[in-house]
Amino acid sequence: MNGGGSKFFSPLWLLLRTNGLQAWRRLLSFRDQSRLLSAAIMVFVAGYLWLAYLLFYKAMRFVSYFPGLGEVLVERMLFLLFAFLFTMLMLSNLIISFTNLFRNRESTYLLTMPVSTDTIFRWKFIESSILASWAFVFLIAPLVTAFGHSQKAPWHFYPITVTLILLFIVLPTVAGSWFAVLLARFMDRRAFQVAAITVAIGAICYVAFGTAPEQMQDDFEDTRVLGLMDRLLKRTDFAQNPVLPSYWLSSGVLRWLEGAFGSAVFFMLVLLSNVLFFGFLSFTRLGKPFYEAASVVQSRGSLFGHWEWFRKWRDFKGQRRYEIGFLERAFAIFKGWLPGDVRAMLVKDIRVFWRDTTQWGQTLMLFGLLGVYIINLRHFSQQLTAPFWIHVVSYLNLGASALNLATLTTRFVYPQFSLEGRRVWIVGMAPIGLPKVVTAKYWLTTIASLGVTLGLTVLSCHMLQLPWERTVMFALAITVMTLTLNGLAVGLGVLYPNFREENPSKIVSGFGGTFCLVLSFLYIVASVVLLAMGTPWPGASDVDLGKVLFGWVGFGLLSVLLGWVPLKLGLKRAAHFEY
Amino acid sequence: MIELLDLVKRFGDLVAVNHISLKVERGEFFAVLGPNAAGKTTTIKMLTGLIKPTSGRALIAGCDVQAQPLEARRKLAYVPDFPFLYDKLTPWEFLRFTGQMFRMEEKQFEAKARTLVERFNLEDFLRKPIEGLSHGTRQRVAIASALLHDPEVFVIDEPMVGLDPHHARVVKDVLKERSLQGMTVFLSTHQLSVAEEMADRIGIIHQGRLVAVGTNEELRRQSGQDGALEKSFLSLTKQEANFNEERGQAAPSAGNK
Repeated sequence: MNGGGSKFFSPLWLLLRTNGLQAWRRLLSFRDQSRLLSAAIMVFVAGYLWLAYLLFYKAMRFVSYFPGLGEVLVERMLFLLFAFLFTMLMLSNLIISFTNLFRNRESTYLLTMPVSTDTIFRWKFIESSILASWAFVFLIAPLVTAFGHSQKAPWHFYPITVTLILLFIVLPTVAGSWFAVLLARFMDRRAFQVAAITVAIGAICYVAFGTAPEQMQDDFEDTRVLGLMDRLLKRTDFAQNPVLPSYWLSSGVLRWLEGAFGSAVFFMLVLLSNVLFFGFLSFTRLGKPFYEAASVVQSRGSLFGHWEWFRKWRDFKGQRRYEIGFLERAFAIFKGWLPGDVRAMLVKDIRVFWRDTTQWGQTLMLFGLLGVYIINLRHFSQQLTAPFWIHVVSYLNLGASALNLATLTTRFVYPQFSLEGRRVWIVGMAPIGLPKVVTAKYWLTTIASLGVTLGLTVLSCHMLQLPWERTVMFALAITVMTLTLNGLAVGLGVLYPNFREENPSKIVSGFGGTFCLVLSFLYIVASVVLLAMGTPWPGASDVDLGKVLFGWVGFGLLSVLLGWVPLKLGLKRAAHFEY
Repeated sequence: MIELLDLVKRFGDLVAVNHISLKVERGEFFAVLGPNAAGKTTTIKMLTGLIKPTSGRALIAGCDVQAQPLEARRKLAYVPDFPFLYDKLTPWEFLRFTGQMFRMEEKQFEAKARTLVERFNLEDFLRKPIEGLSHGTRQRVAIASALLHDPEVFVIDEPMVGLDPHHARVVKDVLKERSLQGMTVFLSTHQLSVAEEMADRIGIIHQGRLVAVGTNEELRRQSGQDGALEKSFLSLTKQEANFNEERGQAAPSAGNK
């Protein structure tokens, strides 16, 4: 920024440079906060990459051992991976583009500067694509590397695959940003909530009733295996629809691996031409619709306002403006247990969450995935008969439930304190006091998340037909883990507050949020290992009491260290908080 | 310099701005007053091009804000009550960024920026990240950067929020000087004393309508009230209940004036 003598830069270049500098300094301040913790996070990231690579490599080798089938399975897995990646990237881009274009102070600022709306849209498009895609690219990097190694791919396979993926991620970004503009233009918050819930229910119903796996009959097992596989994989045929961009990517990758370079280049050109066509349209034609949508977002009356019945209902509600709201009446049930100020705080938190559309969208995505997981457990358990696998899967389920919970606590619980924002003094100066506010948030999020995790774990045990004492053991373990993960998120949220930012996803992406996620994941991995050590395996003849004691005491101590201690530190900080 | 031609803005079935027409001349200092939710901010948003009017037009130095947005924005500067600044930049870097956005020559930028930095007492903060500055200092950085390209029209919302008396004086002086040099100032405020002291003309918006426009003296005549602008304002906005209540409470302080 200090270089002199420059003539005129294009506005897009200025925006890229300024925001690049901002991001770089944010990274440096991240490092400066604690070098030790930053190093720990780097080690964690490297560890993830290495472990994920090993896991995927072994899995791919295992699958490819099936004579005649390995190739088919690996190929289908790749098609499925990229098809799901496309969907997830599109959803992620939709949410991030919406926030970035229409709920962002920089966008509003730029609309008053001598910058065309096309340029603003271009910059926001680039920013959204980076924000929405980097995590996915990071997650699939070890998988693609493992795939290449397991297939003994030549060195040039990797740069080609990277090029194909970079081309590919432009298309979900285009789709996501177009949907975001359409959504902003034609839907208000209530209409979006109704539509999102309808889509989510539809998706869950489809998974529940439309995706039952083919039942395997005994006479099929040894004969006509290919036919059987074909039937079993029939339902995944959608991933091989040639109009899907994920099909072009998968085909390009596979053809290059096979040495069919001409065919691979063809798919690369198909991707490139689509990227150029839709990218060109986005870069040159969406500035005006973006501006119109931004104007509508700020000018919105009710979508239903032109219906008379709605206006009558609203007038009727308006006449009853002094009436107590539904949530307050619901919480009044706890009058004997919860004081009025705590109830007011909880009602406020739930209302704020309910009325924030972007929070909603991401919650739906996470719970949608959870729903799919729960529903699919029933199919999975039918294949399990050996006690060894039942035992392994029960622990994997515990880990999966806890990992889902860790995502929820980091994404939604950690930013809770920061979201009080510049208004923190309102609750801080109220007679309730900040420590009580933090405690109320802790119990609200813990009870809400316990409903999900406990339900999921008990359901998983039921599906695996575990004996009741094991179900109780897992229920106890997930309860402790829920208390710990919420304590960690709430505690770190108070210790590393960010009152400047109003976007929860940006609060989470800071130092404290990353630290919370890393600690949560390490805790889950360590807990599952300790619990597996501390629980005798079914049919074990000699029980090593020392091992059992070590496992459970270790789990307890770890939970206290990562749950109770951060929460206590957070409460201490809240008690002496300076506004 | 500023022309609002029969401007209307509807939010669903609510009319937020109701057929406002107004002309503010070159070099005029115009203050707009109004109760909360009167339509002031909506009018400013249409004037600065942040939202589209339902009907009517807004012109900045002869450029239609909707039809010629870039030309209009080059002649305009807008400082909202909580301005956006890039937190990780320093004030000097932000000023440079703004200068480059307005395609200022390097030498021209240096000269103007140094003058503004000195005028707004920003020297000590130039190399510090904006995220660590107080609200008042951020406000000064925002005003200085908005003045950098010598806008023909300057729109500012609540300029005195967060400023200490010394810097509030500096801002008032700078804006008055600029308006005398030909810059049109369109100021929205709840501080009647600021409007009374600074404005050549005052407009009062109430329930989406421009209910009165004129000098302080003309407003007094229109309202049939003597004395402070507060009386004219309350009378013109027909807030009888508030007026009676506040008259009882404010009598001693009014008497001290």
